[in-house]
Amino acid sequence: MAKVLMKGNEAIGEGAVRAGCRYFFGYPITPQSELPHYLAKRLPEVGGVYLQSESETAAINMVYGAAGAGARVMTSSSGPGISLMQEGISYLAGAELPCVIVNMIRGGPGLGNIAPAQSDYFQATRGGGHGDYRVIVLAPASVQEIIDLMRLAFDLADRYRNPVMVAGDGILGQMMEPVELGEEEDVQIPPRPWAATGRMGGEKKLINSLYIVPEELEQHNLKLARKYALIASKEQRWEEYRLDGARLVLVAFGTVARICKAVVDRCREEGLAVGLIRPITLWPYPQKAFEPLMGKVDSFLVVEMSLGQMVEDVRLAVNGRHPVHFYGRCGGMLPVAADVVQEVKKLYGGEGN
Amino acid sequence: MGAEMKRITIFTGHLGSGKTELAINFALSLKERGLPASIVDLDVVNPYFRTRLIKEKLEQLGLTVICPRGEWMRADLPALPPDILGVLEDPARYGVFDVGGDDVGATVLGRFGPLLPPDDYHLWLVVNACRPFTRSKDDIIKMLKSIEKACRLQVTGLVSNTNLGAATGWQTILEGHQVVQDAARLLNLPVVMVAARRDLVEKLRAHLPPGFPVFALNLFMQAPWQEM
Repeated sequence: MAKVLMKGNEAIGEGAVRAGCRYFFGYPITPQSELPHYLAKRLPEVGGVYLQSESETAAINMVYGAAGAGARVMTSSSGPGISLMQEGISYLAGAELPCVIVNMIRGGPGLGNIAPAQSDYFQATRGGGHGDYRVIVLAPASVQEIIDLMRLAFDLADRYRNPVMVAGDGILGQMMEPVELGEEEDVQIPPRPWAATGRMGGEKKLINSLYIVPEELEQHNLKLARKYALIASKEQRWEEYRLDGARLVLVAFGTVARICKAVVDRCREEGLAVGLIRPITLWPYPQKAFEPLMGKVDSFLVVEMSLGQMVEDVRLAVNGRHPVHFYGRCGGMLPVAADVVQEVKKLYGGEGN
Repeated sequence: MGAEMKRITIFTGHLGSGKTELAINFALSLKERGLPASIVDLDVVNPYFRTRLIKEKLEQLGLTVICPRGEWMRADLPALPPDILGVLEDPARYGVFDVGGDDVGATVLGRFGPLLPPDDYHLWLVVNACRPFTRSKDDIIKMLKSIEKACRLQVTGLVSNTNLGAATGWQTILEGHQVVQDAARLLNLPVVMVAARRDLVEKLRAHLPPGFPVFALNLFMQAPWQEM
């Protein structure tokens, strides 16, 4: 059969395998445990290694080791586990190691609960670890898109020698949708002359993030900053939905964008000119999506499963030129489409919009 | 329904094979026959789309729903409520068990094996041939063996439940049914029924041998953007 019915978590695993990833180190946590479960079965089939580490701290450092040795490698977790990994992510960014980190976000802070959330947006896009660094963040909204974005995640990680995070939520991980997997490609992993695979008579290769001399660290920081600027200029990705003539534009990512599409359709049926911007990269934030709308729309409504995190990036992109409103649910609660429609009606054509 | 009626019916199978929808619909079909039906949520594997999430709705429809109590209902803990034993021990009650996916989920069932009424239960393996680890007859057999080993019980029949979610056509079901039948033949087990979304039943019947049991499903688990 051409199509397969997959859970989002399984699709992350299959997408990684098809992107040439052969190493997974991780520790189970709801709501992403189907991913390690899947890879425990799947990686041995393709000669890969699945290893359940003793903790998330260990997992991210195994990723550091494998990436340093030139492997396509991945780890995954949810909120609390990703928090534990922050030190390692900072080291990976400092040592410029390509890898993919998956966060299927659950309710927080602390132990929170196992229900879906998007409240790790700040952590993902601002960096929960220390130092001046950036992580590329991709936010799929369907099981099919997961397959495509996993390939992109590994390619971007290699192209920029940078950690890439794939951020979903529990619903995306748990829900099932049909996917077209297509033919399995023979993925050519780009050469990694920097990898610590032996000197072979050449120069010493050292994977490190330690720069004791301030002048040297400053140069390293500036080099990283140039890389981040290049990523920001070249890698912004987003989807536009029914923006033609839109007066009110919704902004949402992942699962919430799916809900907002239903909202847009309902509003359009009722004659309200409403559209949607769905960021696919959360960092770099797709600022370019907003420019063509400036002066043409009334206002923006950001919808999130948090108390307002991405809304800050929308305000930066809009830069005071239009009002930016916010509607959110939190604690593992999902925004209900009908409620968002009500919110749109409250704002639509209103004063100050 | 082709299979003979038994007091306990257990749905097991690959993660995401459709056990929950089947168990709910099957329990409701018992209720419609006037039988005192309970649905037992034994799923300690899948934290999201499981029976307990629509507990109230099912209770309104007249089912007894057995799942962890209070806030524990929302946890990812392997908590099992004591009232499961009531369903197993009371000869007047009919129980439908929704077991968690794969061998991991089936492990929980093993604890109840010695309490099952001898010769008065079905243990059915639900198969969706569009799922990653049950796409071929060999994979289905492998899945069945791993589940049997985990729960220390023998599967007594297969339920043909191939689907692609909302994208399912009757052809999808029919293609998958062939694979399930091939597996069943090798296992020397019956395919007790083909399950299909209610709107596909008629089309499907026309392509099956006359009288082959087709079980109509009303779907209960919805994606959040399907609710307006």
